[in-house]
Amino acid sequence: MIKLIDVSKKFDDLTLLKDFNISFEKNKITCLFGPSGAGKTTIANIVAGIVPVDKGCVEGVDSSLFSYVFQEPRLLKWYSAYENIDFVLKDIYKPDKRAEIINSYLKMVELSQYKNYKIDALSGGMAQRVSLARAFAYPSHILIMDEPFKGLDIKLKSDMISLFIKMWTKSQRTVLFITHDVEEAVNLSHVIYILKNRPLDVVDKLIVDNTSNNKEKIKSILLSD
Amino acid sequence: MMNSILRNKNKLLIILFWILVWEILSLIIGQEIYLPSPHAAFSALLNLLTSKDTYITIFFSTYRTLGGFFLSCVFGIFLGIMSGIYKPMYDLLNPLIIIMRTIPVMSIIIIAIMWFKDTNVPIFVAFLMCFPIIWTNTVSGIRSTDVKLLQMCEVYKIKRIRVIKSVYFNSSLPYIQAGMVSALGIGWKVTSAAEVLSLPKYSIGRFLYDSKVYLEIPGLFAWTIIIVSLSFLFEALLKIFFKFGDKYD
Repeated sequence: MIKLIDVSKKFDDLTLLKDFNISFEKNKITCLFGPSGAGKTTIANIVAGIVPVDKGCVEGVDSSLFSYVFQEPRLLKWYSAYENIDFVLKDIYKPDKRAEIINSYLKMVELSQYKNYKIDALSGGMAQRVSLARAFAYPSHILIMDEPFKGLDIKLKSDMISLFIKMWTKSQRTVLFITHDVEEAVNLSHVIYILKNRPLDVVDKLIVDNTSNNKEKIKSILLSD
Repeated sequence: MMNSILRNKNKLLIILFWILVWEILSLIIGQEIYLPSPHAAFSALLNLLTSKDTYITIFFSTYRTLGGFFLSCVFGIFLGIMSGIYKPMYDLLNPLIIIMRTIPVMSIIIIAIMWFKDTNVPIFVAFLMCFPIIWTNTVSGIRSTDVKLLQMCEVYKIKRIRVIKSVYFNSSLPYIQAGMVSALGIGWKVTSAAEVLSLPKYSIGRFLYDSKVYLEIPGLFAWTIIIVSLSFLFEALLKIFFKFGDKYD
């Protein structure tokens, strides 16, 4: 269990978080649902240790490794798809092991035949798949997904979502999933936090089970927010 | 194909036009000392090209230019990367670079003559003139590095040295390359200038100096044409080298 306990965070004069508490269950997909600019990314960055807190503490992340799927692919455009994944694994595995891991994940995202293409030569959707493969190939305990499907068209988005589910099922880990898309939230998450206001509040915590009744109910709650 | 032939034909015509202007001007002036005719300059050039000494001279002047250029690349890129990443390093070096950029070349040449052997003076001067350009470009390149990529490296706990090599260096590469191209051009100019004052045995500068002393103005023009051609040639080689590097890195 990862816990943020009484966390406060200010950016200049803007108080984003004040005595904020939230918890994430291990090996579950937890969704942070809320409007843009609310501070969802800041919570994720605090968990990942990129953003320091002004007050409070984060529990349950000691010696954890993180991987991240950002809104944009954030790949090194001078490297190939293969080299981009290799880049994050180099300090961790020996070359043989690396090759095996990279090839299997590139296969999973159906990019095997593009593995030697420079990122510039790939489409936006392909690049985002490389980014997803990188996040899963990395032996992280916690995976943060910050609106990774934003800006993709419907077809690509549903492909990416099914790829994500496939990969997560194979290699389960704690996922923080940030979105303000109702469909994504309901279809991917186990737990949904509805976040609002400034400083940020947890307005509601919803547990998703797989009955369609429950899903419809949650959808209507999310839509009304 | 047809287009490129036409373009080259146009280029040739333009060059011919300017040589014609030169010819007409020299006819109007009518004195070789002020402005030799293209014919006199090119026959002096042909003359030079038949002498073995010319090639030895070109070799040594090229060695000095490239020597200074090479040193400024090594130091400029290394210190530029460090200064781009670490602000205190930048603050420390910046005043020195500003001074280096504003000191007249002649002051540096004269002081260098006091310090070094004649053949090394042009190398040192070329280094001092090229280094600030490459340093400045490298610093801007490093600063243009996408913060988002650096954040990604932080999340994936990439070692610092690999971040510098794979992210910072590659982001700044286009800036470094542009800096190297302009530094090389300046390198040729200041090397010849430094040679004129320090007079190493085999040097284009010494020939330039002699042309002045003996009022051998067509020779001056011929050597100038050689310097300009060398400068063009090495710029082209540098660009081919960059292209090659892009393909096979």
